[in-house]
Amino acid sequence: MIRRHVIAALSLLVLVALAAGLLGRVQGDQPHGTDAAGVWIVLAGWVVLLWFVLGRLAQLQGRVLSLLAPAVFGLAMLYLWEILVVGWDVPRVLLPAPRAVGEALSVRWNVLWPDFKQTAISVVAGYCAGCGAGFGVALLADRYRLIQRGLLPLAGLAGAVPIVGIAPIMVMWFGFDWESKAAVAAIVTFFPMLVNTLAGLSAVDAMHRDLMRTYGAGHAATLLKLRLPSALPFVFNALKINSTLALISAIVAEFFGSPIYGLGFRISAEVARMNVDVVWAAIALAALAGSLFYGLIALVERVMTFWHASYRA
Amino acid sequence: MTIKKMAKLLPLLAMAMAAGAHAQDKLTLQLKWVTQAQFAGYYVAKDKGYYKDVGLDVTIKAGGPDINPSQVIAGGGADVVVDWMPSALATREKGVPLVNIAQVFQRSGMQLTCRNDSGIKSPADFKGKTLGVWFSGNEYPFLSWMDKLGLKTTGGADGVKVLKQGFNVDPLLQKQADCISTMTYNEYWQLIDAGMKPEQLTVFKYEDQGVATLEDGLYTLEKNLSDPKMSEKLARFVKASMKGWDDAVKNQADAVKIVLKNDASGAQTAKHQTRMMGEIAKLVGTGKTGQLDMKAYQRTVDTLMKGKSDPVITKMPSGATTDKIWLAAQK
Repeated sequence: MIRRHVIAALSLLVLVALAAGLLGRVQGDQPHGTDAAGVWIVLAGWVVLLWFVLGRLAQLQGRVLSLLAPAVFGLAMLYLWEILVVGWDVPRVLLPAPRAVGEALSVRWNVLWPDFKQTAISVVAGYCAGCGAGFGVALLADRYRLIQRGLLPLAGLAGAVPIVGIAPIMVMWFGFDWESKAAVAAIVTFFPMLVNTLAGLSAVDAMHRDLMRTYGAGHAATLLKLRLPSALPFVFNALKINSTLALISAIVAEFFGSPIYGLGFRISAEVARMNVDVVWAAIALAALAGSLFYGLIALVERVMTFWHASYRA
Repeated sequence: MTIKKMAKLLPLLAMAMAAGAHAQDKLTLQLKWVTQAQFAGYYVAKDKGYYKDVGLDVTIKAGGPDINPSQVIAGGGADVVVDWMPSALATREKGVPLVNIAQVFQRSGMQLTCRNDSGIKSPADFKGKTLGVWFSGNEYPFLSWMDKLGLKTTGGADGVKVLKQGFNVDPLLQKQADCISTMTYNEYWQLIDAGMKPEQLTVFKYEDQGVATLEDGLYTLEKNLSDPKMSEKLARFVKASMKGWDDAVKNQADAVKIVLKNDASGAQTAKHQTRMMGEIAKLVGTGKTGQLDMKAYQRTVDTLMKGKSDPVITKMPSGATTDKIWLAAQK
């Protein structure tokens, strides 16, 4: 066991050393001709070594050690991006190196952080409004058949509305600030929540429903004690989908009229100014926020639906 | 091969030779905005055959929201673009080597239009108000002006709140902004068409405020200028384009008809385009059409560099203009 760990650690060390060496070589005076071919051959060898190392790391067990493989993989991807961009001398306005993006992130943090806060307000507000409305309407539609038959097709229309069409209209209705972006996020998140909740409410075992009936439970009791808990996996499905949808729609909505802060504004303004590294920094920030949001909901889901078959694996 | 077989090949050969003789050089022009009278000169040159006369087959690509001509040429989507000088200089500083080969508009059409009921009578009243401006390269003259007035664009009582306005005039109509950016030839008339009366509006022209920067000009990449074949093509292009502009300014009704014919969207109206053509004619220089006045260039550069906190460009540009192409076009 120790021997396995030692081999993994040693090969990881070789990997890092080789990577640093290659990067240094490429960043110095640009290698030409056979030198360049040499660099690419060594890089190919490095990728093979990476494969081997990842294979070893994936076998490690334990809460901390098992995170090593994905961490190394992530860092290796960043490294490959850096060396390919630097080695091929890709123009900065087309694809900046990760280091340039990191620099932009730290240098322009004083602007990106308020941008993030502005977008976050609209995302959270829109998310809560849209999911809440979707959930509420689903409960109503479940109780009253009339609403289900009348409203569902209309809700389908709401779901199909393109963000780029609805955003300028929301700006006209609610103004330039976060309210219009929240409105867009609410519209976009409404339909997935509605559909999933309805599906969850109707996906109850007939036998369980019969049992509640034999106990004399009314609609409300059946709903609270049987159908809502059973619907939770579906509801969380929608909540997870909506977390990324809300973020995307809020950012896109900011393209169509906003105060001069907000992640969407930053992306559109800086891409026009050719500050592509700032654009990538804003994208990285949005992606990170989106992943964290998604992860948070997944965590809550795990706590609330621990009984579901998908967690038994 | 028998004589008969060779005779069969003769027509093919003749066609090939004829095709060669009539081969036109291809060139792609990227406009700054949608098809409208702002670009009448190029459409007139195409429709009246001026490009064909100099042996050019020109493809005119219309622009639109969030299409930045400097980006298009940087990505290889065009050979020559129409762009504003601030955007071109800023892009040049970022590493895309744009060079001005002709300056079509000698005067600026940019202005800030304010509602009278917002209480703004002079630039001193801008403090604490909400102003709208387009981005995508059009914000530079505005930012320079705010910097000159010492107004922070981050809001607050001592600064101004800035909105990224879309390409419509709703923010002013809906009172979401106290002032919006308009062009003398376009958005101002959209306000009038929407029902606002000139007496209800106060207009601040950038020319009058001393912060005007050069607008529509022709730009290309440095590598095109060091290629003699390409330079020669560009000279022919500039010659025919300036001829088109002279024609458009003199025969405005014709120009409007041609623009409307080329409008693929069908959104433009004769009334709006006629007004636009009239205003554009005031901006295009009379006399040496397309020649860049170096004094005006220097004024633009000075305006852009004067920004205390956030200058549009930080270094004096070098090699950003050339008169080589325009002079060749005069021959």
